[in-house]
Amino acid sequence: MSVGRAYAFPPEKWEARKKLRKLSWLSIGSLLLAAVVIGLTVGQSQAMKTAWLSDILTAVPPLALLISLRYELREPSERFPEGYARAISVAFLVTACVLTMIGLYLLYDSTMKLVHREHPPIGTIVLFGHQLWLGWVMIAALTFSAAIGFTLGKLKTPVAKQLHSKALQAEADMNRAEWLSEGAAIVGIVLVAFGLWWGDAAAAAFISIEIVRDGWKNIRQVIGDMMDESPTKLGERKLEPLPYRLRAEVRQLPWVKDAAVRLREHGHTVTGEVFVVPRRDGLSAEQLLQETERTAERLQRADWRLHGLMVVPVRALEETSPPRVAQREESRDAAD
Amino acid sequence: MQFRLLLYIALTLTTACGLPRDTEGTLDRVRGGTLRVGFVVDTPWVTATGVGAGGVEGAIAAELARGLGARIAWIHASETPLLQKLHDGELDLVIAGLTKDSPWAARASLTRPYYVDTTTVHGERTEVPHVVAVPPGENAWQVYVERVLESRKRELAAMRYAVAR
Repeated sequence: MSVGRAYAFPPEKWEARKKLRKLSWLSIGSLLLAAVVIGLTVGQSQAMKTAWLSDILTAVPPLALLISLRYELREPSERFPEGYARAISVAFLVTACVLTMIGLYLLYDSTMKLVHREHPPIGTIVLFGHQLWLGWVMIAALTFSAAIGFTLGKLKTPVAKQLHSKALQAEADMNRAEWLSEGAAIVGIVLVAFGLWWGDAAAAAFISIEIVRDGWKNIRQVIGDMMDESPTKLGERKLEPLPYRLRAEVRQLPWVKDAAVRLREHGHTVTGEVFVVPRRDGLSAEQLLQETERTAERLQRADWRLHGLMVVPVRALEETSPPRVAQREESRDAAD
Repeated sequence: MQFRLLLYIALTLTTACGLPRDTEGTLDRVRGGTLRVGFVVDTPWVTATGVGAGGVEGAIAAELARGLGARIAWIHASETPLLQKLHDGELDLVIAGLTKDSPWAARASLTRPYYVDTTTVHGERTEVPHVVAVPPGENAWQVYVERVLESRKRELAAMRYAVAR
């Protein structure tokens, strides 16, 4: 059993992990660049200030992910005997919180603007000897920043799927939220150009509700991770069928009478226990040890993310395993 | 090259469709009508001339009115009520020797600086950008005011010392 060792990614996933690291650097660089461009054109527009803030904030999660990637593969230590795989969950927590914060701030900000009936003033700027309405320049800067967010989101989604990385998926959601809100800001400025003062705030409020919903979805997933929730599908609440698959596989083994499985996510990896009731027809201690080890190795091959899986021989299932896993399985079988 | 193209698209949009527009239609109302100007005396920026305001910013108000064929209605009061009236749309322009870092920026819309003054405070040279205030959200009006300020920059700078003497 590999409980005492750090997880090793399979070669193709290792490539995806390298890509993830590159994407994170790309994110930080391009988002800061967008923040600089927007910062130069902020002026008195509140919408532009929000866009600037969200550019800075969205650079935080990739930074958190980069840091956690450095820790993820460290060998377990005296202080952290379970290893460092859950560093990724910490990055996920940061991302979910940032996403929610952006949404709540945007919602508060735009609602207040509507309540106070604030008319956004936008003046002129002199560029290369031409005096332009600053609104057009803002739209250009926002388009630039939105294009960056859009591209980053599109690049991240397939890598997140490959690595089953909730942290990266949440980042992709966040990039999507960002370019949507910047799109809303553009619509708002165009409406302001037509003399409709409420356009800016109304568009922002509409989009912020969507962002808060995304953020809440991710926070719920993080809380689930912290509560040792059974593995869930990427970006969904549905449980994965993996525990049932493992249980079915163990129960087919000749030395096994009955079995129950308890899994949880550990960052990019999945770990847990397989409780096994052996057939008691003359299995020696040596044989039992051998079978246990062989079964653990065999099960670990069922899914690339499985790591540090424990096979625990028990006398009976009721005492040591989550009974509902077995019961649900039975009811599922009955339903089929 | 492409940047130039965007610049011309923006310029075309501005002139062809009359964008941006005002929320309350200030520019259209002032054109051939009345320009309501609130002023606070602050020599050399704003001086009292009996009927209305003179000084650098008095000249700005006169120039704005002349360009639009409007007559000026002067209102003399202190800064707080004037800027409140401006915010509520009862005035079109406030001249009070305001500077860009004025705490009024949140309520009124301060224009681009028409002149950057240099003064010495505690032995340190500081730049003080001078602005005038327009109602927030009247973006066509603000664009018009800022265009006039930009085109008259040199005359206004010359006036600053002429008036002081």
